[in-house]
Amino acid sequence: MNGAQHILEAFHRHHISTVFGYPGGCIMPLYDALVDDVGVEHVLCRHEQGCALAADGYARASGKPGVCIATSGPGATNLITGVANAHRDSIPMLVITGQVPSGLIGTDAFQETDVLGMTLGIVKHSYLVDDADALPGIMEEAIELARSGRPGPVWIDIPKDLLLAEVTDAPFPTPEPRETGCPDLAKALSLLRSARKPLLYSGGGISLANAEDSFRTFAESSALPAVVTLKGIGNAGKCNPYNLGMLGMHGSRAANRAVDECDLLLVIGARLDDRATGKLDGFAPDAKMIHIDADAAEINKLRPADLAIRGDLNTILAALTAELTKKSLTISNWQKQCRTWHTTGGFQAADNEEPLAPITGPAFIRQLSRIAADDTVIACDVGQHQMWVAQHYEFDHPRHHLTSGGLGTMGFGLPAAIGAQFADRNSTVINVTGDGSFMMNAQELATIRRYNLPVKLIIMDNQCLGMVRQQQELFYNNRESQINLDDNPDFVAMARAFDMPALYIERTDQIRRGIETILAFNGPMLLHVAISREENVWPIVKPGAGNREMLDETRRTSPANKEHVA
Amino acid sequence: MTPQTDIPMPSYTLHCRMFREAAALERLCQVVRIRGFRIARMAVESAGDHIDIALTLEGARPITMLQSQLEKLHTVAEVIPAQASGVRVQSV
Repeated sequence: MNGAQHILEAFHRHHISTVFGYPGGCIMPLYDALVDDVGVEHVLCRHEQGCALAADGYARASGKPGVCIATSGPGATNLITGVANAHRDSIPMLVITGQVPSGLIGTDAFQETDVLGMTLGIVKHSYLVDDADALPGIMEEAIELARSGRPGPVWIDIPKDLLLAEVTDAPFPTPEPRETGCPDLAKALSLLRSARKPLLYSGGGISLANAEDSFRTFAESSALPAVVTLKGIGNAGKCNPYNLGMLGMHGSRAANRAVDECDLLLVIGARLDDRATGKLDGFAPDAKMIHIDADAAEINKLRPADLAIRGDLNTILAALTAELTKKSLTISNWQKQCRTWHTTGGFQAADNEEPLAPITGPAFIRQLSRIAADDTVIACDVGQHQMWVAQHYEFDHPRHHLTSGGLGTMGFGLPAAIGAQFADRNSTVINVTGDGSFMMNAQELATIRRYNLPVKLIIMDNQCLGMVRQQQELFYNNRESQINLDDNPDFVAMARAFDMPALYIERTDQIRRGIETILAFNGPMLLHVAISREENVWPIVKPGAGNREMLDETRRTSPANKEHVA
Repeated sequence: MTPQTDIPMPSYTLHCRMFREAAALERLCQVVRIRGFRIARMAVESAGDHIDIALTLEGARPITMLQSQLEKLHTVAEVIPAQASGVRVQSV
């Protein structure tokens, strides 16, 4: 077998059956090998960024590594945003690129770029293969690295001549199994039992560790009031009465208030991101902190932990659950207080009963949440609609909410929805996007059409870059700069050009019928939703300010808001 | 323009052993830079399958933070901090 065939052999060995890619000169030996391979489905996207983001969405929805493939030079550079997106959100991904032949590396050859050098900061690890015989071992190691510990993208750059070279069959080293022991939790239990106002704070690390069930059991049995990060949405499920929802910049007043007043923060699988904590000085000022994470480098990175525990989250959560089941926590006053805050300071968007009223973002998302089935996958883009989904859609599982958290990549949603649909052909997948984000990877409509994927597309169109406009209004004296998109194309006509039916709605009384129509349609369909240009996401914390300084709509024009103008 | 203040940065020495690979030193230096440290001195020596690197670093952030980030690199075998030297910035 040659190097290219060994790559496919590794895919088979690791049950990788779907890959996303785009061919070109230096990766052609791999595409030639694919001709004879029936076990790997290659999804041809229309841009390499689409490939990487689709692989990312596939991984988020399935929990398996996503694989993307491209050629050297522009093929590789076009992957970069998608790979950076996966890196920032710790998504397991294998990236395979062709490189110019070994002898031409460093000669400024056609389509040569220093992929290894330019991607060092966005990968968990990377390889430039210099010996065909090393390729099987590198594939084995790379796949294990991508999905183990704190997952992430691993990039393998392979010169064309090594893809064509015969590989000597020889045993290759297999990675050593990871430690699975449980750390001593006595101090954690002692801190939990002595706290009067403990708060559970979880993030994307729960699903990255495939610890969703363990976490839910722990959250329910401990009955701890809980907040989640953007990537932790869904961790607690829909029915946990103590779940206060998302904290942070666009978090609920209830969640941020609970963080502000708690005396113990139990952080699990979260990295204290600035969008969640706001200004660190004022974050959970009276709380001790227990930080549990798979990645030792996250512990004490931004705030010293009173107790740090590194290890497998499933093991730790199971042990904590067992102990708290024996003797439960006595925190009824705190629970009651948090539930009161949730009632008065949760995300409450009153549905507009006036049938001819314009559609508001929160009202639309709440309707969508009520109508769509519990196992629907929502792939968001980035901007106001992303926050309305985070605030108002009730997720029952973190893998149903695909969102670009760390990098905030506009254009993520459409290819991510494609990836999620390939992860489960029978699931309902909806891309909720904005007019700005949609246009960033609109070419992937062709991918939906080619594979006849039943992805539903909802464009919340305010004819501007809404989140930027909002911050310009609030923090830059309403000086609008380069946010106007009122020359958008006709999205309905655009969908039809890809042989995709589409609907346009603009009034409140059209919401239900619009959503039900696209969900009932047996195939891809687009819903173009006109919303007000002036609508903002509330609450909001000014970037760099403390979460105590949340602004809401009632304070939109108050002197307090003006104090926050930069 | 804000005038430069002549406050000495804390200085640290790290000894790092890495497996030999194509981009070992670039990978190391990239992490040092992005995590907020400046390389004041660097000595590299090959030792079989490994390379040993002695780094003198300056930076205001805790060196333990950099150490844990370096230890995450797949090709880093070990990171050993030497005793801190230089003048510490006093907090007021």
